[in-house]
Amino acid sequence: MFVRLLRKSILRRKSRFAMGVASVLIGAAVVTALFTVSLGVGDQVGQEFTKYGADLMLQPQSNTIQIGLPGVSIGSVTEQKYINESDLWMIKTIQHKANVLGFAPFLYQVVTVGDGPNAQQAVLAGTYFNKTIQILQPASPQDPSVFSTGIEDISSWWKVTGNWITDQNDTTSAMVGSNVAQKLNLTVGDSFKVSYAGAQNGTTATTQNGTTATTQNGTTATNEKELKVAGIVESGGAEDNQIFVNLPVAQDLSSRPGKVDTVQVSALCVRCPVADMASEIQGKIPGVQGTTITQLTNAEMSTLDKYQSMMALVTAVALLASTMGIFTTMTANVTERRREIGLMKSIGAENRSIASLFLAEATLTGLIGGIGGFGVGIVLAQFIGLRVFSTTIPLRWEVLAVAIPIAIGVSLLASALPVRRATAVEPAIVLRGE
Amino acid sequence: MDEELISLEKVTKVYGGGTRALNEVTLSFEKDQWTTIMGPSGSGKTTLLNIIGCLDLPTSGIVRIAGKEVTGVGQAALTRLRRENVGLIFQQYHLVPYLTALENVMLAQYYHGSPDETKAVDALKNVGLEHRLDHPPAHLSGGEQQRVCIARALVNEPAILLADEPTGNLDQTNGNVVLQMIQRLHAEGRAIVLVTHNPDISELGDRTIRIVDGSVEQDFKSGGDRNGE
Repeated sequence: MFVRLLRKSILRRKSRFAMGVASVLIGAAVVTALFTVSLGVGDQVGQEFTKYGADLMLQPQSNTIQIGLPGVSIGSVTEQKYINESDLWMIKTIQHKANVLGFAPFLYQVVTVGDGPNAQQAVLAGTYFNKTIQILQPASPQDPSVFSTGIEDISSWWKVTGNWITDQNDTTSAMVGSNVAQKLNLTVGDSFKVSYAGAQNGTTATTQNGTTATTQNGTTATNEKELKVAGIVESGGAEDNQIFVNLPVAQDLSSRPGKVDTVQVSALCVRCPVADMASEIQGKIPGVQGTTITQLTNAEMSTLDKYQSMMALVTAVALLASTMGIFTTMTANVTERRREIGLMKSIGAENRSIASLFLAEATLTGLIGGIGGFGVGIVLAQFIGLRVFSTTIPLRWEVLAVAIPIAIGVSLLASALPVRRATAVEPAIVLRGE
Repeated sequence: MDEELISLEKVTKVYGGGTRALNEVTLSFEKDQWTTIMGPSGSGKTTLLNIIGCLDLPTSGIVRIAGKEVTGVGQAALTRLRRENVGLIFQQYHLVPYLTALENVMLAQYYHGSPDETKAVDALKNVGLEHRLDHPPAHLSGGEQQRVCIARALVNEPAILLADEPTGNLDQTNGNVVLQMIQRLHAEGRAIVLVTHNPDISELGDRTIRIVDGSVEQDFKSGGDRNGE
C-alpha cells in the first residue's frame, strides 16, 4: 500500500516532483562535473609525475651573462653547457647509491627527417636503452664495478610496438614516438633518414658510426644518418614526439662527443630522500644541478589546489541552490496536501507514517536527480575538460557513489523542515473544514 | 442495558485566540446509541465531535473512551485510540483524490495495520459500490463518494461512528440513501454520534443534544427507529 500511495502521490504531482528532481539534478550535475574534472586533472598531474619516471633531473649549471652598455642592459645570454658522459658513473657512488634504481642521459637535437618537400622536423634524443657502465671508483670495495642502466629501467610504462633497442652499440636502430611515427607514416622495420644541420665543421667525411658530414661554407656541416625503426613508443607524454637512438649516434650526429644535456635518475624507495640524493650528486659531479621532480611539479600542484578550492566553493553554492529548490518544492507540496495529511491522520496515520511518505518522496527525488545529474555532469565535465584543460576527462564511476548519496542527502536535508510541518498538521482540520 | 462508551466531565476547549468553543461540558455516550448533536453554526458541535473522535484534546476536563482516560495522553496514543475505536464520516467526504475507491478504503486498513483487500471489497459491497472499486473519487457522484467514506469508516469495525453533516453536500435522494445506511449500522448495534442542522435527521436517533455557545442547552430522547422503518 505504501508503494502504491507513494507512486500515485508522485504521479498526481508530476510537475512538482519534476521541479524537485530538476533542483537535485542541477546540484548533482555540478558535483559530478567538478569531482570528475578534479579527479581527472589530479590524475593527469599524477600521470605527469609518473611520466617523468625519474625522481631527479640532472642538468648542467648554466651561467647567464647580462649584456649591454655600462648601466644599460639589452638582454642576457645563457651559455650552452653539457654534462660529461664520462662522469655519470659517479651517480652510483653517492651515499644513497642503493636507492638509485637507474638513470638515463639525454642529448637532444632537432633533426630533419626525410628529404625534399616532405621533410619534417623532429626532436632526436640520444640515450641509454640498456647500457652497462663501468664504475671506475666504487664507494667501497664490496660495491659492484659495473652497473646496468638505461631508459628501459626508468620508463617501464612505455608501450612499445616492435622491440626495444637492446644492443648498446646499435647505431642504426631508432625507437620512434607514436606521434612522430604517425606524422611520418613510419612503421616497425621502416628506414628513414635524419639530418642535422648546424654541427661544428668536421674534417672527417664519415665517422666510425657511419654518419656522413657535408661541409657547408667552410664552418658548419650537415650530418646525415640512415635509421631503421626498431619500435614505436607510446607514453602519453613528450616522448611520443621524439625519436630515440643510442647516445653515441646523437653525439655523432651533432658533433658533441661525450656530452649529454640532462640525466634522469630514478629512485627506488618509499619516501625517498631525493633532495639529499640531489645534493650528493651535485657534490660528486662538478657543474651539475639536481632538481627533484616534486620541485618541478609544485607550481602545477599549487594551481590544482587553487582550482580544487574554487570547485569546492562552486559545489557548495550549487548544493545550497539545490537545497533551496527542494525546500521550496517540498514546502509547497506539504502546504498543498495539508488536508490530505489531516485526513490520513484522522483515519489513523501516525507521524512516522506521514514522515516516511514525504521522506520516501524526497529520497526518490534525490535518487532520480542524482542519477540524472551524474549523466549531465559527465557531459559537463567533458565540456570543462575540453574548454579549460584541452583534454577529455575519463568517466569516473566512483563519482556516482559520491553524487547519489550527496543528492539524496541534500534532498532529505532540504525536506526536514517541510516534513516536520507535515507531521505538525492537526487531524482536526478535516472536520473544521480548513 | 446500554454501557457507557464515551464520557466527558467538565470538558472545556479554548482555542489559541481565546475563543471558548466548549464550556464545562459533561456528557456520556452509550454503546448502541444514536446521538444527534445539533446547534447553530459556531456553537461548538464540531469541537465536541473532534474531542469525542480523539482528533483534538480538551483544554481542561476529563475524556474517557472505552474506559480509558484520553486527557493527558500523547499524540501517538491518541492516534492509536482513534484508529481502534472511531470511524469518521465527513461532510466533504475527504477521499484521497489520486487513489481509487478501493484504495481509499484500504488506506484506513493500512494505517490500522491490517490491509485486507477482500475485506475492503466487502466493505464497498455493503455500501453498494462493488461496481466502482477502481474508480477515483473524481469519477464518482457525491453520494457514491460519501458511501466510500462510510465504507472506509467501517472497514476497521470501530466501536463508534462519528458523522459530521453526512448529508450536508448531498441531494435528497443520495442523502436518504446515506441515512438508510447509517440507520442500518445503528440497527446492527453500532454507536453513532451525528452532527446535523436538520431536525428531521435528529428524529432518526435515540437522543438529541443541543449545543449553544459551547454549553449543552438541551439533552433529550428523540424518536429513534432502531429498525429504520
